Amino acid sequence: MTPILLFDGDCHVCRIIAHWIERSAKQPSGPPSIIVQAIGQDPAVLHALNPTLDIWAAYADPHVLMPDGSMLRAGYAVAEVFRLLPNTRWFAGIFAIRLFGKRPFQTVLNAGYVVLADIRPLLGCDSCGRPSPWVRPLIWLANQIKALTGRPPKTAVRHFTHLKKTPAKALPLSP
Amino acid sequence: MSGHAITTLTGATFEQMVLQGEGPIAVEFMSYSCAYCAALEPVLQQAAGMLAAQERIFRINIGNDEDLAESFGITGTPTIVLFQNGSEVGRVDGPEPDLNAILAELTQPFAA
Repeated sequence: MTPILLFDGDCHVCRIIAHWIERSAKQPSGPPSIIVQAIGQDPAVLHALNPTLDIWAAYADPHVLMPDGSMLRAGYAVAEVFRLLPNTRWFAGIFAIRLFGKRPFQTVLNAGYVVLADIRPLLGCDSCGRPSPWVRPLIWLANQIKALTGRPPKTAVRHFTHLKKTPAKALPLSP
Repeated sequence: MSGHAITTLTGATFEQMVLQGEGPIAVEFMSYSCAYCAALEPVLQQAAGMLAAQERIFRINIGNDEDLAESFGITGTPTIVLFQNGSEVGRVDGPEPDLNAILAELTQPFAA
């Protein structure tokens, strides 16, 4: 069985990253090193992949489902993806290095993942929820710049995801 | 995070359970990919449990039943539409994930 990366298919940023991973996972011969799959909307589909996987949790962070039944999430899932991709595995070993019982590079990667996840609303993710407090001033600034350039700013922060009338452009993701 | 106080309906069961249903009914139009819905979920489950004796709460996943959402003019998620004997009597766009606020919003239209 091939590891499976689950990602938020409604998040524009996540789709771009997932598309890059899918292209990078192709191998000259044999199956891809990782299968990239959008989470979708059916909890039963996820239960079939792993009975302990809750669909809300799957949307909260990227998950990598390993062939042995284990799951890696957030920064640890990112590190595993680096380990699995042919063009990044050369440096991925760094995340396993231990110093004084800690994994400092994994810690830095975890922090980097949190920052990327937090700034997704700035990058156009409408379904990513209320921005973290530290991102809100940046969104305010982005809105001011938009207003100066004559573009309509985003509406004020609400607990609401606007529906897109046109369906998101489908990416050729497997399976 | 998932609970059992809220039943998921589909386009096929909506008419029978809601439009032909009796008494107060709340329907949450949601999507699993909507982070606001995720924030609301535990609060709504708790409210559904507390109101179980007086009001039924269902959910429609707009990811699966987009046409139904469109027919009700749903423009975003989460949106809660309140029905009394099959007729819409109110709706809440983007409710705050706060138990007291949700309880008020779920019961107010039926108090009159």
